[in-house]
Amino acid sequence: MYAPLVRPADRIIAGVCSGLAAHLGLSVKVIRISMVVLTLASGAGLLLYAWLWLLVPTADEAARAENAAFNPRNIAGNFARNFGGPRPAGIPAQPGPQPGTGAQPLQRPADDPAAAAAGPTGRTRTAELMQRGGWEIAVGAALVLAGGAFIAQLAGFNVPWETWLPMLAIVTGAVLAWMQLDNSRRNGIMDRAGATGAQGVVRLIAGLVFVVAGIFILISGSISWDVMWPTLLATLAVLAGVGLVLAPWVVKYWTDLEAERSGRIRETERAEIAAHLHDSVLQTLALIQNRAASEQDVTRLARAQERELREWLYRDKRKEEGNLVDRIKAVAAEIEDAYGHPIDVVAVGDAPMTEQYEALIHATREAVQNAAKHAGGSISVYLEKTPGSTDVFVRDRGPGFELADVPADRLGVRESLIRRMQRHGGEARIRNTGNGTEVHLGLKHPEEGNHS
Amino acid sequence: MTDPIRIVVVDDHAIFRSGLKADLDSRIDVVAEAATVEEAIAVIHEARPAVVLLDVHLPGGRGGGGAEVVAGCADLLATTRFLALSVSDSAEDVVTVIRAGARGYVTKTFSGAEISDAVVRVAGGDAAFSPRLAGFVLDAFGTAAVASVDDELDKLSARELEVMRLIARGYSYKEVAKELFISIKTVETHVSAVLRKLQLSSRHELTRWAVDRRIL
Repeated sequence: MYAPLVRPADRIIAGVCSGLAAHLGLSVKVIRISMVVLTLASGAGLLLYAWLWLLVPTADEAARAENAAFNPRNIAGNFARNFGGPRPAGIPAQPGPQPGTGAQPLQRPADDPAAAAAGPTGRTRTAELMQRGGWEIAVGAALVLAGGAFIAQLAGFNVPWETWLPMLAIVTGAVLAWMQLDNSRRNGIMDRAGATGAQGVVRLIAGLVFVVAGIFILISGSISWDVMWPTLLATLAVLAGVGLVLAPWVVKYWTDLEAERSGRIRETERAEIAAHLHDSVLQTLALIQNRAASEQDVTRLARAQERELREWLYRDKRKEEGNLVDRIKAVAAEIEDAYGHPIDVVAVGDAPMTEQYEALIHATREAVQNAAKHAGGSISVYLEKTPGSTDVFVRDRGPGFELADVPADRLGVRESLIRRMQRHGGEARIRNTGNGTEVHLGLKHPEEGNHS
Repeated sequence: MTDPIRIVVVDDHAIFRSGLKADLDSRIDVVAEAATVEEAIAVIHEARPAVVLLDVHLPGGRGGGGAEVVAGCADLLATTRFLALSVSDSAEDVVTVIRAGARGYVTKTFSGAEISDAVVRVAGGDAAFSPRLAGFVLDAFGTAAVASVDDELDKLSARELEVMRLIARGYSYKEVAKELFISIKTVETHVSAVLRKLQLSSRHELTRWAVDRRIL
């Protein structure tokens, strides 16, 4: 393992030599002397030094870049990263920023969404083709073409090699360079070149064709070689000079821009959190201070606020809203607010809503409401969705009751629970556990059972 | 009555620590407290408690929170047991700390008596499951996966499934025992077996599932 190439804080000029020494595992003296020797060789060392100075980040910058991907709340991710072994939760080390809880996605460079919007179709298809030995196919095709051309020449045709070879070189070079870039960089380049959308791609390709054509005309012999070399050299020298002079400014400007952009993103994020806290938590705290005299009100407010904040913090983004679990939780929350008894919902599995589930939710509401009204204390709701059946258990710790004791004119249990479930192809059972009542609501889905 | 169980409370909120200390019953003796990962590792090595009540989210260290403390005390796992305590509902936090070696997970909404029970249980070498943790287990192992052999790490046996279901339904160990006509000791054995599976299983749903929950 090589140490990362960074410019450390203890430095003589810019820390390039000491950074390089640490990276290559050589002594600093050796590096410095070779730099001097290289400088004597018509200034190559100086150029190399300047180049590294510009491009190698300082230790601080590198640390900051690493910290950007670190989220202290992401316990699991950090743990997996620090103690990667057979034991911990098996969360694979993720390359790049960790997509995680709320704050995370905003830390990604903002070019991502744009790149994603650019349409995965064309590029992913090329990538797929490349993966499936497309590269070998391309090389093969090129070789076949070259062979064919060679045979054609042998057969007496006039192949204009001086036209084709440079063209081929340019195309090969471009393809090679493109393949060196990884996917995200490719997307980044496409994005920055404005090649998003069909129009942009056409513009980019047209521009490239013009450049290639220009170079092509230049080398294809319409300008005589003795004039061309000095001209080309002079052009290159001017371009290189301008580039060298401008490079620091460009790099600086770019870094500033990136820093400002990430700063702005962080600011937006902070504002969003502040707004949320203000709308919910601060209001609740003010209410709690107002009602400090009533213990029940305070508990109820705190509980409701806790639920709301929890939902916001730990929301399972994968689950779709409005599904069965969501609805059951909403019912529990509503009754918890109304009666002030804590209701814990544990759910295993989930499913999109159907008419049958509507009935199940109504029955659950009735059962939970009964428990809150008559039993009080803490209430447990357990939902289990398996292929083939759905079960809800509502358990309280009250004195319990026997169905036979309930007067015949009380419709709550008989009508809302038992008959409702029967009408929708399910059943409801009420049981006295000896330490509270448990209502079991079950639905069968025989048509789903075949899948398992 | 036997000697009180010596425990260390690790939580970064002093108010919560003092509240918890006041709530725990006489079977438990809080010998030390800590607020950060480094402090916790040092204090636990010094005090050698029987049980550590450990918050999942802790400042300090390398950001690994409670799981990092457990990993840092790996040399003591034979004598010191860890019980995770958290306000967090997020599955990956729970599973991470359990798989790091904690023997149970309770939420901060539990009453002092319930937490005391869990501590006693963990001190006795058993596992402490909350309804929510049982729900996670059922979610991860699937409600239909039945092991043909009890030792199979990637599946639960029929009995273990029953026990997990009842715990998820809000039954205490005692109630589970009564419901299934088995002794509390047997319930504890089943729960410990599930805990072992949760810690050691390479079941890909388990790892996948933890990862999935983090991805948007």
